[in-house]
Amino acid sequence: MPFTLNLPEPWPSRGWKAKIRDRERLEPPHVTILQKTRAWRFDLRSGKFLDKEPDPKEVPKEVVDEIRSNLTLLRRQWDGMFPENPISSEEPDDE
Amino acid sequence: MSEPLLVVEPRGHATRELVRLKADRLRTESEIRNALQRSERRALWIAPSVAAVRLLLAALVGRPKGDQRLLALEPALEPENCARHNLLHAIFRFVVSADEGIRLLQIEELADVLGSPNREDLFVGGAVVSDDAAAILYRGNLEPLVVPLAWFRARPDGPKPDPTDLAVIDAGQTVRLGEYEAATDAILYEFDDAYRRRAKKRELERDSSFGGALRRLRLEKGLRRTDFHGLTPKEIARIERGEVKKPHPRTVAILAKHLGVPAKQVSTY
Repeated sequence: MPFTLNLPEPWPSRGWKAKIRDRERLEPPHVTILQKTRAWRFDLRSGKFLDKEPDPKEVPKEVVDEIRSNLTLLRRQWDGMFPENPISSEEPDDE
Repeated sequence: MSEPLLVVEPRGHATRELVRLKADRLRTESEIRNALQRSERRALWIAPSVAAVRLLLAALVGRPKGDQRLLALEPALEPENCARHNLLHAIFRFVVSADEGIRLLQIEELADVLGSPNREDLFVGGAVVSDDAAAILYRGNLEPLVVPLAWFRARPDGPKPDPTDLAVIDAGQTVRLGEYEAATDAILYEFDDAYRRRAKKRELERDSSFGGALRRLRLEKGLRRTDFHGLTPKEIARIERGEVKKPHPRTVAILAKHLGVPAKQVSTY
């Protein structure tokens, strides 16, 4: 089951979602912001957008703020879902 | 460049949900033939009803076809009507139809995907071929992409993918198998070289080294550094950290063999 962050209204009713799905590109760890046919990946390590396109400025400030204020929760979710590529640690050389 | 969108709507058969879609509307055989000429032999035809499919066939049979693609929103290829089935597949390069076991996006989202400038990077529907352990996913330009069901691997303590319940959701950005969800982006990144190259271009400046690509690919394949017979975990860690800028071709060959990709492709991930 994916993890979906509850965004405040009116953003969900305008089609905005923030999700970590069961199968994502694993590196770097991220949450995906979705709005209709557009998507933005937000880096859970750096707290910044990962891609130049679509323009991160198109994401409402309130949505970004909600994600930033829930970074700890999102990082915990990611680590629980993908323990093989955790947010915080580098693998030791010899595992 | 995306192929032009042509909606076939015989008089009295307009589809309310497609009204917002920017496309040419064709109501008669002569309008369809004129559109075929204008489209320079490449177009995506949308037939929202059986009547639209019939009108389209009446207009196109015997015409030069080029690269024509058909999205039929209502079952139009009745299983007992093999002749029509064969006819459609003879005229159109790709046929995506609500029958043939293909489950389409719900229609409002379908219209959003078709109207999107990057529709080829979104899915409009899919089907599972259980006997062959594969899912066929159809992109917004109707091109099929085959994904082995084994690729949808379950997480520890996560839901198991249910191949009997496949659906495309989130305006083509997620493939759902029961309670399990996979990102369209992850699927295309893995199975479409051209998408992967475009996706890397869109990324902000960050780790574009060979080591970064190796780490991303290794994690996607679910491998540990201890899984590479012929190389030690320390050697792999040094490459991933960028301490070895240009690994020896023999090392790259070993990596590629275990990762299941051609050696020259490792750096593209």
